[in-house]
Amino acid sequence: MASPSTSSLSFKAPSIQSTRTSQVLRKPLSFQPISFGRFQSSKNLRLQISCAAKPETVQKVSDIVREQLALSADTALTAESKFSALGADSLDTVEIVMALEEKFNISVEEADAQNITTIQEAADLIEDLAQKKPAA
Amino acid sequence: MVAKCQVISLCRSLLRAGRKYPDYNIREYTKQRTLDGFRMNGNLTDQSKVNEVYAEGKEQLEVVERVLKVYLAYPPKTKNIMELNVQ
Repeated sequence: MASPSTSSLSFKAPSIQSTRTSQVLRKPLSFQPISFGRFQSSKNLRLQISCAAKPETVQKVSDIVREQLALSADTALTAESKFSALGADSLDTVEIVMALEEKFNISVEEADAQNITTIQEAADLIEDLAQKKPAA
Repeated sequence: MVAKCQVISLCRSLLRAGRKYPDYNIREYTKQRTLDGFRMNGNLTDQSKVNEVYAEGKEQLEVVERVLKVYLAYPPKTKNIMELNVQ
């Protein structure tokens, strides 16, 4: 008889504390969905900044593409221009990738080279490889 | 049965191997010849012909790599005039 009462007493004490802690805990719980949303958006922002290649890299890539495909100065080259849209077949793409390798002194893998379809992708890959090179 | 990606990778390997030559003339020649060769045969539809030409390309790749070893043993002492950016 004494033991259940003591046990009940012992339960009471933590219950008081638990209510206090639960009150404290509830606040961050309510914040959590908002903070996750914030984290996601900041992560997205970070990814965007790290993925975007420098404009001078994009410009150099555009110059090489223009030279390889013998495009006139009128044709507008944006970062999103696809090589196929500019009239390049797969061999032209291979040539362009080779020229980029020589110009930027990088080595593009087979798998990476096959995935390049736009100027932006090429510039991103170049930046990626240029960053990895000094680390190696 | 030769797939398109195999053809592209053969072209890439030939271009890469040709780049290593110390001699300017051979470097430019291999690059131009591979591109011409692939463009000439680019529109083939007959699969057996494609296989034939692909096998030829593979042989040429072996030749390029073999000859490269010989040329690397005796690199040219002076730079070719075309390589110097003379203004």
